[in-house]
Amino acid sequence: MNAARLVVALVLALLPLLTPTYAQHVAIVVLINAAYTVGVYFMLRMGYLTLGHAGYIALGAYTAALVSTRLGWSPWIGIALAPLVAGAAGWGLGSLTMRLRGIYFSLSVFAFGEIVNATFRAVPALGGPAGVAGLPRPAFAGIALESHLAYYYLVLAAALACGTFLYRLQGTRFGFALLTLRTADEERLAQSIGIDTPRYKAWAFAACCAAAGLMGAVHAHYLRFVGPSIFTFLYSTDLVVFAMVGGLGSFAGPLIGAAVLTALGEQLFSVGYYKSLVYAVILIAIILALPGGLLSLPQRLRRAR
Amino acid sequence: MTAALLAQGLVIGLVNGILYVLVALGLTLIYGIVHIVNFAHGEVYMLGAMGIYVLHVAAGWPLPLAMAAVLAASWAAGVAVERAFFRPLRGQWLQLVVASVGISLIAQSLSWVIFGAQEKYVPSYLPGVVQAFGVRIQLERLLAAGVALALVAGLYALVHRTRLGMAMRAIEEDEETARMLGVDSDRVASTTVGLGFLLAALGGALVAPIYSINPGMGLETILMSFIIVIIGGLGSITGTVLAGLLIGILQSIGALAFGAEAATILVFGAMIVVLILRPQGLMGRA
Amino acid sequence: MPASPAQLEVRGIGKLFGGLSALEEVSFTAPAGRLLGLIGPNGAGKSTLFNIIAGAFRPSRGAVLLDGRDVTPLGSAGRARMGIGRTFQLATLFHELSAMQNVLQAVLCRAPRRTLAGLLQSEAYRREQQACEARARQVLETLDIDAYWNQRAGGLPLGVRKLLTVAVALATEPRLLLLDEPAAGLSEEEGRRLMARIDATLRGRCTVIVVEHHLKLIQRFCEQVIVLEFGRVIYDGPPAGLKGNTRVVDAYLGHD
Repeated sequence: MNAARLVVALVLALLPLLTPTYAQHVAIVVLINAAYTVGVYFMLRMGYLTLGHAGYIALGAYTAALVSTRLGWSPWIGIALAPLVAGAAGWGLGSLTMRLRGIYFSLSVFAFGEIVNATFRAVPALGGPAGVAGLPRPAFAGIALESHLAYYYLVLAAALACGTFLYRLQGTRFGFALLTLRTADEERLAQSIGIDTPRYKAWAFAACCAAAGLMGAVHAHYLRFVGPSIFTFLYSTDLVVFAMVGGLGSFAGPLIGAAVLTALGEQLFSVGYYKSLVYAVILIAIILALPGGLLSLPQRLRRAR
Repeated sequence: MTAALLAQGLVIGLVNGILYVLVALGLTLIYGIVHIVNFAHGEVYMLGAMGIYVLHVAAGWPLPLAMAAVLAASWAAGVAVERAFFRPLRGQWLQLVVASVGISLIAQSLSWVIFGAQEKYVPSYLPGVVQAFGVRIQLERLLAAGVALALVAGLYALVHRTRLGMAMRAIEEDEETARMLGVDSDRVASTTVGLGFLLAALGGALVAPIYSINPGMGLETILMSFIIVIIGGLGSITGTVLAGLLIGILQSIGALAFGAEAATILVFGAMIVVLILRPQGLMGRA
Repeated sequence: MPASPAQLEVRGIGKLFGGLSALEEVSFTAPAGRLLGLIGPNGAGKSTLFNIIAGAFRPSRGAVLLDGRDVTPLGSAGRARMGIGRTFQLATLFHELSAMQNVLQAVLCRAPRRTLAGLLQSEAYRREQQACEARARQVLETLDIDAYWNQRAGGLPLGVRKLLTVAVALATEPRLLLLDEPAAGLSEEEGRRLMARIDATLRGRCTVIVVEHHLKLIQRFCEQVIVLEFGRVIYDGPPAGLKGNTRVVDAYLGHD
């Protein structure tokens, strides 16, 4: 088991050194999407579908953008503030909507994501329709991380931080208690043994949103730009598609889904509509034919023999 | 904010509101009876409008024929979607919602590809403006509102006075018992989804001459529909009607006073307030 | 196992459901360690009263007191922390989790969450976790269902599931345990064995309120019986006095 992890670690660390710049770009986007998708998965595991994750990503991204351009502070400050802003917003909306069953939550998160975008679009001071451009790259040990290769390692570190945090959180007593929230009946049982379910749900959501915010800030500095056209509902649904296609059986699912579909998407990127179309078709196919997602493929093949 | 402006905002708000209600009703109906949140609803609305453009403007069909075709097609699409996607996934709420999201994505993407990004326009069904008591309103909008109102009333009658309506309410209450009593829940399910799709497409067809048409117009509509059903209470027809009219008025007066974008934020704020004070919605069940 | 049993006092409880009076002036006391049965014909209000004591419903009037402390403003999670445990009529469990994991959820509620230590997976945290898991197995053993510890709860036979719901409630170390029709759906023999095990495990150590339709079980195991009819208490005393009480007999015969 540990040998496998070592190999993966080495690949992640060294492969970019050997590949062309375009591949490094794909690797960066894959890592970013994987980190986002893990947050979406964390909520799904609890029985909650978040259809507006992009809204929280945007909060983190814009925090980083505004802090580094309007206030002129070091990018690291923006990256540090982003998870706090996104996490606080997540905690707020979570507290409001989690007294109800999941569908109200899903619709509210969707609405929130749209409103965030609308707000950034409408207020010129926050960038307006043109967004915020000219984000500097953060500097490490005096050297700005200008190249794809250099930035890759920052993205890797951030993605590992988010992923490890959520993975470890899942393994705590708190994370274990989150498994009691899947249906209305089970939630009642959870309360009867003393679990304050609305609070748990709000904190879980806050954790996912904070991770989204952190990655959003890193994402923003990669693009050197943020705008209302990036973190849209389409992006939120992409993330859900990654999680569903990968499979909800374990933490590996969102990673696989994000990696495969992002890499595929980068090939189709030239026409954005085709990318969404392909994603949607794959999604429907998986739901109807392979409900366990790509994770369950080895099992299905074994059974077919 | 003068009295005249207020009156204007109120009337426009009511008219817009009833159109929102038409679309949101389809959503509430589908959720209340088949327990599915139909994310593709916005796309059906868009395709209703797009259908009128393609058949009536581009292909030159007479308006009544184009309308009938659009309505028939939307009904058929609803029944087909229910049979092909919703029925096999029954009971799996997550897969159902995600599947409806997938369908919406496919519909939207195909529309962008087939119809292109350029705004399309449908000539007015009933040109002219009427003015009364200092309030100015296009006849077009009044017509659309009138049709919508008639349909909402018709829906009420359907649900509360027909056998189909009784079957729908029975299934909403307790599907197993309804089945035991002989209700064909499969047929009611496909009829309900067909009806929901029809209402959405009709909403789109009615507003086709009022706003410009593009494949992305479904998103705004579905956002508004969701806010309305959250405020009104998922599954409650009365709640949807009340919330729709309220939101229409709030948005219209807000736009006159603060501007369009601010009005959207105001509407969202209303949703937050309802979530805090009465989370199950005005008429929703706790 | 549990800490000292608690005294339950129900004082002047009234409950209106949209104009209909479900409960009216219900008052009684269950001394600490008592095994009390709550019976009555269908529609008498047993379920409503049960849920009010458990904290799932708010009463329109009156109070619920635990050892003299008013717990009425608390919801079910709050009452659980005060030591009130309950089971649910339909054998509600965490269906996708194993039997042991079900009980573990309840055991862990008694342990401090210590999420930060959990994130770091410290030695002390892991040892505490193991102790909790051992405790969960122990609770399963006292109800003799340890053999199923690793099986998915949703797939267990009904009799085992009912015992498991009691195990889950017990693992919270309640001072007052509320059992909602524990023998429902079980054969007479299984029901008797369930009550016997509960009696043996908890006698004197926990106050128990049982809602039941199986009158034989009530008469056999309960020390005190409350009979409800149309939302009012019509009998409060030992089970032996039930047969001779004309009001009780009428209430049951009148509804059959």
